[in-house]
Amino acid sequence: MPQQLAIIVLVDVGSALESESLEGNTYLFDNMKLQGSTNQGTGELVTAINGSYWRDGSQASEQVLNWLPYSLGSIPPTVPRGYEFDRARQTDEQALADLQDLASKSSVAGTDQTEQLSQVRKTVGARVKTTRRTRGRLSGQKILDVTGKVVTEDNTAAYTYPAPVITDIYGEAVDSKIMYPAEYGSPDLVTDGWYWSASVDTSRPGTYSYVMRIQLHKLVGLNGELRWEAVDLTCPSTLKITSEPRRNAFTKAGVGMLPIPPDAGTR
Amino acid sequence: MKPQVNIVAVVDVIGALSGSTLLNGNLCMMDDGGENSAHQGTPDLCTVVRPGQVVSWSALAVDLQTPVEIKNISFVPENGSHSSGQTQGQAQGVQNGNHTEGDKLDLDVWTGIVPNWLTPGVAYRYRLELQMYEGENSVMHIDTPALMCQ
Repeated sequence: MPQQLAIIVLVDVGSALESESLEGNTYLFDNMKLQGSTNQGTGELVTAINGSYWRDGSQASEQVLNWLPYSLGSIPPTVPRGYEFDRARQTDEQALADLQDLASKSSVAGTDQTEQLSQVRKTVGARVKTTRRTRGRLSGQKILDVTGKVVTEDNTAAYTYPAPVITDIYGEAVDSKIMYPAEYGSPDLVTDGWYWSASVDTSRPGTYSYVMRIQLHKLVGLNGELRWEAVDLTCPSTLKITSEPRRNAFTKAGVGMLPIPPDAGTR
Repeated sequence: MKPQVNIVAVVDVIGALSGSTLLNGNLCMMDDGGENSAHQGTPDLCTVVRPGQVVSWSALAVDLQTPVEIKNISFVPENGSHSSGQTQGQAQGVQNGNHTEGDKLDLDVWTGIVPNWLTPGVAYRYRLELQMYEGENSVMHIDTPALMCQ
């Protein structure tokens, strides 16, 4: 068994927000297909966890799980962390340059200033309002589309969603002390520095359910302001734990002499 | 004398599978024996042991999330009849039927006792077969590591 197991939680954020449910909008994968995980790529993943025990009955292996949430149809998580900030600053600089240009031309007759100002406004894009609840990385940013362009007032339909965030893991497997999940900090940029991990007690075989609480963000326009509103949804999944005795690979029984043929060996 | 010597094969699975070889730094072998083992950190590790000592092999993947298991360890007779014409360290296809053997490799404990009839100073080479996930080219082997009595 590998010491670590990754479970990818891929969320179709747009559809999930629309239907206010993760059911049918979540795709789960893990790297244990070889060991018996089933329903890869669906919302009904059953993660196989193969435990083992020593001949005296004590637990021989423990599994570590890592959950990684990803978003479908967003800016890839592998771009640098300052990407949104950089894009926003570039458009600010562009807008300032345009304004300066407009100011110098203002005395020229026949210039349609209203039209040009509206062009500048489009370049600037819309900034998300900071609220008490959405303080942090999401707030104060401009809204981008999946190609990294600033979204303007006319095309707010094509924006990129913030990545889904797992805020809790609970349910049967946790209640019955089969796994001990916790959130950890990491320098890994792909997961934004935080991830949920758990160690699994492989000494009690069985099928156990658990639930992930996943937070998505919905762009809401209110009184002419845009803001990200948190939407908490849940996604159930399953662990299937088996446990088998370890065996000596040379003898298929207890420990014996190494099987070295008499004619082996080079001087 | 230590009662047990541990030999660890650390595998860069992605490197090994991409290059279809355990050479070129894709496999490093180390032991913790108290004697002067030669070629630590290479696929040519020669572990110095004493009769009666327990030797235990295990495999570790550099990328912790990629499964790698020891598929087999077998000692090579001097005349090399073990050789199947494969280039050393290269991938060998999975033959019919032994595909399923890879399923429960994680339950195997590769441990054995050094027999007392080994000739001191002689390198007893063995073939180490590693299985990396599954598929046609997932099993690779090397014939270069050895045990030697002092």
